[in-house]
Amino acid sequence: MYAKLILRSARRSVRDYLVYIVTLTLCVTLFYAFLSVSSRYYQPDIGVEYDFTLLSDGMKLAICGVTLILLFLIQFVNRYMLRSRQKEFALEAVLGMEQRTIAWLFFAETLLMGGVAVLLGIGLGAVCSQFITALLLTNYGQSYHPVWTLFPDTMLWTVGFFFLSFLAVGIFNTRTIRRTKILSMLTASRENEAPFQTSRWMQAGAALYLLLALVRVVQGTRMLYFYGDIRLALPVQLMFWANILAPAGLLAWAAAWAMHRRKWGFPVLVLGLMVGAVLCGLSSVSVPVMQRKYLLVFGAGGTNQALGFLLVDLIFLLCGGIWLSSTLLVWKKDHSPACRYRGTNLFFFGQMISKLRTTSKTMALVSVTLVLAIFLFGAAPVLVGWAEGYLEARSMYDIQIFSRYNDVYDEADLPRGGYDQVTQFLAEEKIGIQADCAFSLYLPRREEFRSRGKYDFPVAAIALSDYNAIRAMLGLEPVALAEGEFTTQWRTIASAADRAAFLAQHPAVSTDAGELTLAQRAYYTDPMGESFYNSYTDVLYVFPDEVCRQLLPVMECRYLMTAQPLPYETARALEHLFEEYYPEQTPGGVNYSIRLRTLQVNSARASNFVLQTTLLYGAVVLMVICLTVLSLQQLLDAGQYRARFQVLRRLGVEETEIHHLVVRQLGVWFGLPVGAAVLVGTIVTGCFVGALEAEINAYVGFGALAVQLGVMAAILAVLLGCYFVSTWALFRRAIEE
Amino acid sequence: MKEILKLEHIQKYYGNGGNLTKAIRDISFTVEEGEFLGIMGPSGSGKTTLLNCVSTIDTVSAGHIYLDGEDVTEIRPRALARFRREKLGFVFQDFNLLDTLTVGENIALALAINQTPADRVEPKVRAMAQTLNIQGILDKYPYQVSGGQRQRCACARALIHGPRLLLADEPTGALDSHSAQMLLSAFAGIHAQMGATILMVTHDAFTASYAQRILFLRDGEIFTELRRGSASRGAFFEQILQVLTMLGGGAQDVR
Repeated sequence: MYAKLILRSARRSVRDYLVYIVTLTLCVTLFYAFLSVSSRYYQPDIGVEYDFTLLSDGMKLAICGVTLILLFLIQFVNRYMLRSRQKEFALEAVLGMEQRTIAWLFFAETLLMGGVAVLLGIGLGAVCSQFITALLLTNYGQSYHPVWTLFPDTMLWTVGFFFLSFLAVGIFNTRTIRRTKILSMLTASRENEAPFQTSRWMQAGAALYLLLALVRVVQGTRMLYFYGDIRLALPVQLMFWANILAPAGLLAWAAAWAMHRRKWGFPVLVLGLMVGAVLCGLSSVSVPVMQRKYLLVFGAGGTNQALGFLLVDLIFLLCGGIWLSSTLLVWKKDHSPACRYRGTNLFFFGQMISKLRTTSKTMALVSVTLVLAIFLFGAAPVLVGWAEGYLEARSMYDIQIFSRYNDVYDEADLPRGGYDQVTQFLAEEKIGIQADCAFSLYLPRREEFRSRGKYDFPVAAIALSDYNAIRAMLGLEPVALAEGEFTTQWRTIASAADRAAFLAQHPAVSTDAGELTLAQRAYYTDPMGESFYNSYTDVLYVFPDEVCRQLLPVMECRYLMTAQPLPYETARALEHLFEEYYPEQTPGGVNYSIRLRTLQVNSARASNFVLQTTLLYGAVVLMVICLTVLSLQQLLDAGQYRARFQVLRRLGVEETEIHHLVVRQLGVWFGLPVGAAVLVGTIVTGCFVGALEAEINAYVGFGALAVQLGVMAAILAVLLGCYFVSTWALFRRAIEE
Repeated sequence: MKEILKLEHIQKYYGNGGNLTKAIRDISFTVEEGEFLGIMGPSGSGKTTLLNCVSTIDTVSAGHIYLDGEDVTEIRPRALARFRREKLGFVFQDFNLLDTLTVGENIALALAINQTPADRVEPKVRAMAQTLNIQGILDKYPYQVSGGQRQRCACARALIHGPRLLLADEPTGALDSHSAQMLLSAFAGIHAQMGATILMVTHDAFTASYAQRILFLRDGEIFTELRRGSASRGAFFEQILQVLTMLGGGAQDVR
């Protein structure tokens, strides 16, 4: 009998909570598909030079972490179901069923619905995991062939994870049902005062924001005290003062409001704080801008703090905007009789105001979460492209060996020799060498050996023949220099402006072998790896060989190209061997390093894949959760809406007008939080892209990034469209029943 | 007096084939302008079905209904909403007020839907509220006022746009006796002052005693008709009770 009850209730609930179940299925699908990569039984053919275990553990942790957010959605829906079913529970209790039994029946019902979603999700996940495999193999540069398998350990993980999630929420709900009095369950639906009780979350938010304003005043004053200087340019002075005065203005406004609070009301405070938040946000933005323009010395800490404050400003603006929207609607309704009494506007105002008043907290939360989702969508191509581009730039040779002299204080301790153990090892392993170049890097002047400050590290020099040998390895044209001339080689990340400024300042270089002048072809920017530049410099001098012979060699490097890719295990063995002979820190202070393309690609690809999948998975999960919450907030109240629209029909409102009203209502409902989130999300992503401008230019390219962001925006729009249309269709059906 | 509503051989069947339920078998009657007509009958006699057919919420299986000479059974479905909006007013047992609007806004909604110019809405609402003695609660929400006040608000909403016919379905069904009495006095008042034509369905003899004429239905047919004439309300009430006794069945029905 109980089983029949559970089945019947679940069947009815499936219809009411269709959007929730679809979302849950979607999340399980993604969960299973992404997690299948970490399965013990997952053996994609990615080649001997790759090791797959690196990827598995990172994936498992990342995916489970992100999915925990789903608990929020499960709890939200369960709470709603609980509320709408109270009368039914009360009747069952009156008929003599124990409250404990009722609670467990409810739990069994939600578990059954969840179970169906999990099973469906695993089935779809098996299909979806093919896409992930294809993505992974593309990432590792291999071709893809579909292999249909179910992974028992991933299934166990999926079922276990979701069962535990349902159990956690279920236990909480069971307690609630057991503790609620029958009478209050019976009368729950009659409590119609509740919708007009406003929550005090915005008051708490405003108080926290003002507290932060105080912190900003203190931090702004500290910044001015430590870094302010009367000789700095006027915009910088303005930046310092704006970061004190703008938050101080917020506090002053709050104090003024406190004196007139009865007359002005809380919305006026929020409105004033929002204006202040715009000013504070602008002053925060000015910090990184000024830092970059005037090379201020407060570095990443100060910039990050300013960006953190900017984020808080944006979140406050978002929450304040949503909170104020119902007040604005009331104001519009009260001050415009022509608008108020036009057609069904009065009904529309009533619908929106009552819903916004009671759910502004959820709306704000949804909006903030959407901003995060949009940011993750935007950040994914930037970070992944950056990591990919940087991998290409730094793994140009199969083996790179180089040394650093940062901790060497005696010239006698400087390295000598050509790393012969490596040649021996390769011979033993029968790995052919296609190209090999051992070379030294020199200091133009011997006295520069002592320059160790971060900002006065000398630019190193390479002999022209070595430089050409390396260029030949990479298939680049050789470079020629006339006597007494030098040229420069630049890192990819260096900007054109930096390069132009450097070259303008260095038309000639004085060396221990005399002065050299800049050649007509003053610079080369071909990507040639990252390891032959001196620490903290983006440029390398190329000097004639005879000049270099008279200079002090400070670093010893060797670049090799092997005939075939190094297998993963061999690469690891070579790395160990090298570390044995050439430790990272020698007693003399020399720092030796080896970079093997196999290992670089392996770890970068694995972490890149984890990064990419986690960001995209997180973004999709957050997005669908937000859209589901928005959709359910309308659909779960359909009973109430049905009655209201029925009144309109009886008053003689045409069906076309009712449909128009539904579209308007859902349009505002989805449009307000999504629109606000898109606006703020675009600003946040824009700031992020702006902060990484140099890296994007060097490793991703703005054109490629724009295409990727466009694709992301299209996916978001399609996802939003799907949820909107399905909510609209279900809502219409619900009010017509 | 001018005839405002005319029903000719109305029939309404539910179901099909062997499972046919005849909610209304054959009903014909007329209502004159300014008349207050009550319809009474036991549960299942077809009162509400009849009201739904007149109000165009439901369709008839056979017969014709004329309102102001216009056959409502012939109106195209798309034009029905307009017809309801302009010609009819409704009062329901469960008030059917919108909980998201204040009492005043609930009344104004009917005018707004009828495209009344904005500057004329509020004076009209205030005047109607005055008539029904609810002027003090116009800014309150329905959940903040009593059942009687809510029903008077529903009444004001139904009447404010000057409908040809006011349809009331068990208007006192959810009210206590005091509120019911106040509402019925209001009904009588608007009938007398505004000359409104009212068609009221009820199974309560006291409520029905406010009408001028009562049609008694049984098993989907008119059982009898009672006119108040010049009799006092008390006497009319007695007559209603007698008919109800007959309607409930005589000794010959007890086997």
